[in-house]
Amino acid sequence: MGLELNFSIDARTKIIILAILSFMVFNDVPFYVSGILVLIPFLFLFLSDYKKIALIYILIYVIAKFLQISILPTATGILSVLLIAFSYTATRMLPILVMGYYTISTTKVSEFIASMEKSNVPKDILIPISVIFRYIPSLYEEIRSITDAMKMRGFGLTFKSLKSPLKLIEFYMVPILISAVKTADELSAASLTRGLSNPQKRTHLISVGFNKFDYLFILIAVVGLGIYVYYSLGGVLLA
Amino acid sequence: MSERLNVKDLITVGIFSVIIIVLIFVFGMLGYIPILMLGLPVLAALICGVPYMLFLTRVSKFGMVTLMGFILGCVMFLSGHTWVPIVTFTVCAFIADLILKMGNYSSVKNSIVSHGVFILGIMGNMLPFFILRDAYMAAMQSSMGNDYVNVIAPFLQTNVLIVMIVLTFICGLISAYIGKIVLKKHFQKAGIA
Repeated sequence: MGLELNFSIDARTKIIILAILSFMVFNDVPFYVSGILVLIPFLFLFLSDYKKIALIYILIYVIAKFLQISILPTATGILSVLLIAFSYTATRMLPILVMGYYTISTTKVSEFIASMEKSNVPKDILIPISVIFRYIPSLYEEIRSITDAMKMRGFGLTFKSLKSPLKLIEFYMVPILISAVKTADELSAASLTRGLSNPQKRTHLISVGFNKFDYLFILIAVVGLGIYVYYSLGGVLLA
Repeated sequence: MSERLNVKDLITVGIFSVIIIVLIFVFGMLGYIPILMLGLPVLAALICGVPYMLFLTRVSKFGMVTLMGFILGCVMFLSGHTWVPIVTFTVCAFIADLILKMGNYSSVKNSIVSHGVFILGIMGNMLPFFILRDAYMAAMQSSMGNDYVNVIAPFLQTNVLIVMIVLTFICGLISAYIGKIVLKKHFQKAGIA
């Protein structure tokens, strides 16, 4: 590719857009507004080397929207319930899920803390949230290795084990909780060593700030939100 | 003993928030079957007892439970529920915190009751359906088709809401009690409870 695009988004922008997208799920909006907002996570993913996921996402969304518009009003029976569940999930939840995935997988924790401290978020909220960022991927790893370990003992995720769900829950929960307690101790030891509890203002290795992409996307999202609010307050003009 | 939360407390809050969030979401997947959606708070109450009780063994200051409630609410908001969970989770967690403080953070009875109150916060995910019932129905009609609305409509009544709150509270108490047993069975032996 000859075009060198230095695409990077500030953590604050990601969270603002995630919040705006969360506002949109509850009510129906005219398609041209939600369509534009749906495209934002797609563009983010596409421009930052997650091209495959971006394409899959937009394909599922288009199929679901098509189902919703053209097939559902006339469909009946059990099939329609399934289709409804699918299209509802895909059109309402998928943009948020994808945006959340993008936020978690591309934001480094140090980047997140740096940009949050720049906007003076209190430490009491900042630290738990950055722990959430840091811990979700390792919890996923943890669950996978627990599944493997259970398979070795002949208790995998099969129909046989689903017959005793309480046991299944216990077998998953106890190791996860034990490892969680250990992780909590280790993380706090590590962060004490790095002086996280120092009340002085900290310095950061990476510089964060808004660039032109940030302003562009926030502008688009805020305009979308404005139209959405206007529409749901009864502005029929736009319908 | 200082009243301010230190870094270790904050990290504990973060870790346990993750576990409770993941549990709620995994079981929340069942909510796509129409009727089960209404059973979701009860299910969550049943499942969150164990991590919550383990969390309480690490709590000795006012504010940790409240903070956790606030963070759970924020995550709920960011994952496509409305802003209502932020309010309900924070308020319920604050009351739970007060109950714990009355028992000086060591009374077993108070911790069981506080789980019952704390988990009521998840009703915030459901409340919009009841408050904005008519608008919600109209929106559903256009986006989910008639069948879904007909199935779910009889359940969106005020007395159903009251029954759900009571059931959730009772299940919260039961699961906290189970949590206490599990704590004894697994964690005290391992020396981390």
